[in-house]
Amino acid sequence: MLYRLSLLLLAITLPLATHSADRPELNVYTHPSFAAEWGPGPGVKDAFEKQCDCALNYTVLNSGGDILQRLRLEGTSTPADVVLGLDTATMETALQTGLIGEHKRSLDALALPIEWDDTHFIPYDWGYFAFVYDTQQLSEPPTSFEELISSSDDLKIIIQDPRTSTPGLGLLLWMHSVYGDKAPVKWEQLNDKVLATTQSWSDGYFSLFMNGEAPMILSYSTSPAYHMAVDKTDRYQAVQFEEGHYLQVEVAALIESSQQKVLARRFLDFMLTPEFQKHIPLKNVMYPAIDLGDDLPGVFDRLITPEHTFFLPPADVAEQRRQLVNDWLDAMTR
Amino acid sequence: MRSTPMKAPLDHPGWQLIPGQLIGMALLLLVALGLGSMLITAGGLDLSTVFNSRYLRGVVWFTVWQATLSVLVSLALALPISRALARYRRFPGRSALLRVMELSLVLPTIVAVSGIIGVYGRQGWVTGLLTEWFPGNGWNLYGLNGILLAHIFFNAPLAARVMLQSLEAVPPSRLRIASQLGLRGWWLWRSVEWPALRPVLPGLSALVFTLCFTSFAIIMTLGGGPAATTLEVAIYQALRFEFDFPQAAVLAVIQLLICGSLWWLVFRQRLETSLLPNRQLSHRVPLKPWPTQAVLSGILLLAFSLFLLLPLLAISIRGLPALLTLNTGASIYEQLLPATGRSLLIALPAGLGSVAASLMILASANKTTNPILKAIPTTTGYLPLIVPPIVLGTGLFLLLRPSLGNHAQGWVLVALINSLMALPFVIQVLRGPLNSQDSHSLRVADQLGILGWYRWRRIFWPLLRRPMALGLAYGIALSMGDFGVIALFGSPGQPTLPVLLYQQLSSYQVSAAAGTGLWLLVLLVSIFGLLSAIGRPPAHQREAIFPETTLEPEHA
Repeated sequence: MLYRLSLLLLAITLPLATHSADRPELNVYTHPSFAAEWGPGPGVKDAFEKQCDCALNYTVLNSGGDILQRLRLEGTSTPADVVLGLDTATMETALQTGLIGEHKRSLDALALPIEWDDTHFIPYDWGYFAFVYDTQQLSEPPTSFEELISSSDDLKIIIQDPRTSTPGLGLLLWMHSVYGDKAPVKWEQLNDKVLATTQSWSDGYFSLFMNGEAPMILSYSTSPAYHMAVDKTDRYQAVQFEEGHYLQVEVAALIESSQQKVLARRFLDFMLTPEFQKHIPLKNVMYPAIDLGDDLPGVFDRLITPEHTFFLPPADVAEQRRQLVNDWLDAMTR
Repeated sequence: MRSTPMKAPLDHPGWQLIPGQLIGMALLLLVALGLGSMLITAGGLDLSTVFNSRYLRGVVWFTVWQATLSVLVSLALALPISRALARYRRFPGRSALLRVMELSLVLPTIVAVSGIIGVYGRQGWVTGLLTEWFPGNGWNLYGLNGILLAHIFFNAPLAARVMLQSLEAVPPSRLRIASQLGLRGWWLWRSVEWPALRPVLPGLSALVFTLCFTSFAIIMTLGGGPAATTLEVAIYQALRFEFDFPQAAVLAVIQLLICGSLWWLVFRQRLETSLLPNRQLSHRVPLKPWPTQAVLSGILLLAFSLFLLLPLLAISIRGLPALLTLNTGASIYEQLLPATGRSLLIALPAGLGSVAASLMILASANKTTNPILKAIPTTTGYLPLIVPPIVLGTGLFLLLRPSLGNHAQGWVLVALINSLMALPFVIQVLRGPLNSQDSHSLRVADQLGILGWYRWRRIFWPLLRRPMALGLAYGIALSMGDFGVIALFGSPGQPTLPVLLYQQLSSYQVSAAAGTGLWLLVLLVSIFGLLSAIGRPPAHQREAIFPETTLEPEHA
């Protein structure tokens, strides 16, 4: 009865609570690491609200995957105006929902390692997937996939599951870019080195890697920047692989059914200004999408700079992901 | 002069029957909506996709295999523990051990797992000792080892507690006879202990099996890779990145079929077994153990305590520096305290709701003899265990979709789902004490016309007070540690404790996260401590009400 009553109560009070402010509201779907107190979210909100005479609201979903899931369930009735936190591997799937509108923005300010001319998605940061290692446990880390595969048996690595984690999928695409058809065989060989395949990057990084469970973990080339700038330690560094590194670009887009498209486009423009981008390097721990000049923290000069960049167009990723994941599953369970 | 007795409040029989039925139906509706939406999107159910995939067949097989192993080991460990606990009632730290045993079930997985890694991981304490004593022993936490270890850590204490409850409910008359006959060892087991345990074993095994079968976070962190994946993980993965509704639906149906038929067997059996005889006198009857048995039991209890406490100690050692840092100002508490407030705001109503709903469900099942009406509340009470949360969540989402959106509603929803998630556990805690009310007292109450509210107040309340406090503690604690539901509907701009923990984890705030983990642990300990103190009736009441029918298990 209590249950029933509370449902009823809920139904009655719902309409009352929806509109409270006179200022227009911009609803942004994003993920926790962006919106958290120490993420770029709060700073961005302050800066944008100062100039837009509006309220910027974050709806924080667990991951890029969950943002998509929510969009699919809500369809055109979604209250979202902007989604922020998808990446090149999930872009195409998002596009296929039919809910993403064209941005019609100028992309001149962008400074990415690749050309970007997508009509729907605007990048706001980027980085490379890389293996981060603990210098106290590993003095000479392997400097290529080949070396990693043939390294001694006690070198263990932590990776993430490509079905639930962005870096996990990134490694799959990385291996695919390096080895093509031979990737499944290489995965089988790499399997001996894998201590654990975790659900998310943070599970692996916090529960295992920082506890010293393995000397190496799949992460981002920018991860050491945080340790160097904030933790003031050089202990954790990324290894530069001879084969090259896979690029990740994080993107935002506006929702076609939004009632606030003008405001949403204004936010997308704002995204490519220094006021937004200066929060990226140390709060999202990625490279900013525009040239920040001297505002880029000095530690970013000490990061690895891959000689070769791998990047598959989002449409190709969407097309091949299923097969790649199945091949991976096959190789890892053999 | 005769006065007509006042009509008792809430004495209409419907008050016992209808609310529980409504809750049961609402749960069924929720599951049907969630599963239905997937099936409709999928356009049908194609079980052959599972049989044709080597990987998925492996998943099903591994899920069953690890759950079976976990049940066997957990119960095998719980059995001697509960016997030792039942027999040696005066060893120092007994009640503290019982508290810790209650706690392990509700410890948020991510916190517990980090403790387990601290003890048994590659750099763990125990692993260090092992390597020193037995070099080259080949111990590796990641894989089946880790899954089993974590499942035992979570479930053996639960099983031992339930068994202890049954052992303590053995009628003293029977114990006295056993004592007079000088029964020990095998004969005591055959004539006293086994008959007491047998009725709870099917339900207990099913509960532990289901918990391990649907295990998620443990598998993802300690499983080591796709070779060790459960159905629950596969369902989540199918939905999360693949948006593969057909596959998710097929896997969810398989999970429901396996766990559902298990519970069906249990219920079928339970309806036929008569419940425990249950008059319990307040004084205990001493039994004569073998002298060596006492020593062995002592060692066993000590080892078990260490097994439970070491991971908690690891969590404390890692978290303390963050909680004690004062030089950076009170920055960590600036986030912790509001998050604690929000967590309590959700968890308190969720706990109260789950206790109330459990009582209604149990009352409804006891009220009727109609098999269908009886089955609805009892079986649906266990639905939240076997239905993947993501299916429940989708159901609720569809039910409320047009009106979802703002934070306050989100929080009401989170509290609501959390209380549903806690139902199976709270029901498990309350079922025994509620059903153990003896028919004699009830007949007397009938004759005296003690009905409705008065009947509850006079007869059930003294009996249920402590179990309800324990149930409330479970409900609150499970909700405090919930991450899945809050992630679905919450408003992370204002994080609850687990959300804060995950936010810290995904932003390199490693030491702050360790602090948050310890903070959660401390809160849970306090909740259990506080509620067990509240649950204990004041001294003057202990003897006053039906002294000879005080059936409360002393540890509840």
